[in-house]
Amino acid sequence: MADGRNGKRPNILSSAVAEMLVQLKIFLNTRVGFILVQLLRIGLGLLFVYASLDKIWHPGLFAKAISNYRLLPLPLLQLSAIILPWLELTCGVALILNRYHRAANLLIASLLLIFILAILSAMARGLDFNCGCFGLSGEESNIGLWKIAQNMGLLLSSIILEFRFRDESQGA
Amino acid sequence: MKSLSTLFKEILLLVLISGVIGIAAQAVLPNGIGLKTDLILVGNDSSQVAVPAIAINPRGDDTRAENITLAEAYLAHQDGAALFFDARSSEEYAEGHIQAAINLPVHAFMDSLAFLENLNFDSQIITYCDGADCNASIDLAADLKMMGFTRVVFFFGGWQEWQTAEYPVERGR
Repeated sequence: MADGRNGKRPNILSSAVAEMLVQLKIFLNTRVGFILVQLLRIGLGLLFVYASLDKIWHPGLFAKAISNYRLLPLPLLQLSAIILPWLELTCGVALILNRYHRAANLLIASLLLIFILAILSAMARGLDFNCGCFGLSGEESNIGLWKIAQNMGLLLSSIILEFRFRDESQGA
Repeated sequence: MKSLSTLFKEILLLVLISGVIGIAAQAVLPNGIGLKTDLILVGNDSSQVAVPAIAINPRGDDTRAENITLAEAYLAHQDGAALFFDARSSEEYAEGHIQAAINLPVHAFMDSLAFLENLNFDSQIITYCDGADCNASIDLAADLKMMGFTRVVFFFGGWQEWQTAEYPVERGR
């Protein structure tokens, strides 16, 4: 069950990345690292719960927010508006409760990746609208580089958590 | 490999739970929608930057708000029976608006929910914005219908036509 990296030619970049990952793993196993992981886990969970509430309460407005991206055809649009907020809530709660947390975290990472791609594609098409990320009101949260940066930050947290959770599930 | 399939099952479980609760919740939520809920595109879709206005009626009726003319808007204003909602920003509203109109910026619709929830949902409502160049009145009408208001129309001629006709206006907030 080797990682398959062995057969590849070593190069400076990949060895630097590998070294960083080793350092990260060592750090995550320290006391400070442990506390950081717990904070990230609960923080990310709370954020996703918070982000889901407005959308759960107003699925119609959320459908409208999704439609702004002009990516999904109609039946999928309603389905996303119905399920997506609940998926955010379920994953957020799972992270907070530390149950099914690895699955929840992987789902959250996938969602974040989809959000980032959706925002990028909308920006590339010159669309400008409220992103519908955390709530459904206000002009301050229009899509843009700042939104991308926010989502990237969350994705990074999620990736760090995955490192820790994978070690846990392997019985480290 | 065993832990991978467990992980996969957990992911599936979370998605399944969300799907079941999400679909079931639509029957309970006051604003619930269905898979067959009509999403009607209105507004000017030819411009790449314009945000499409979508009317979503949670109860599944034909929901598209009707347009009314300047004359009809004026009559309703004289009767005093209708609520006029100004969909523009608070700055534009302050510079001048239809007399007795209430400012309800469409971009901050969610901020107005507390106010709206206390209204009679059968009130006659007329939305307007600047005029032919804007879709905010249509968007706002769609949002209001989606929220459950039954008698919503939009006055597409808006502030421009009203002002030109020299009908009653007022300034300030």
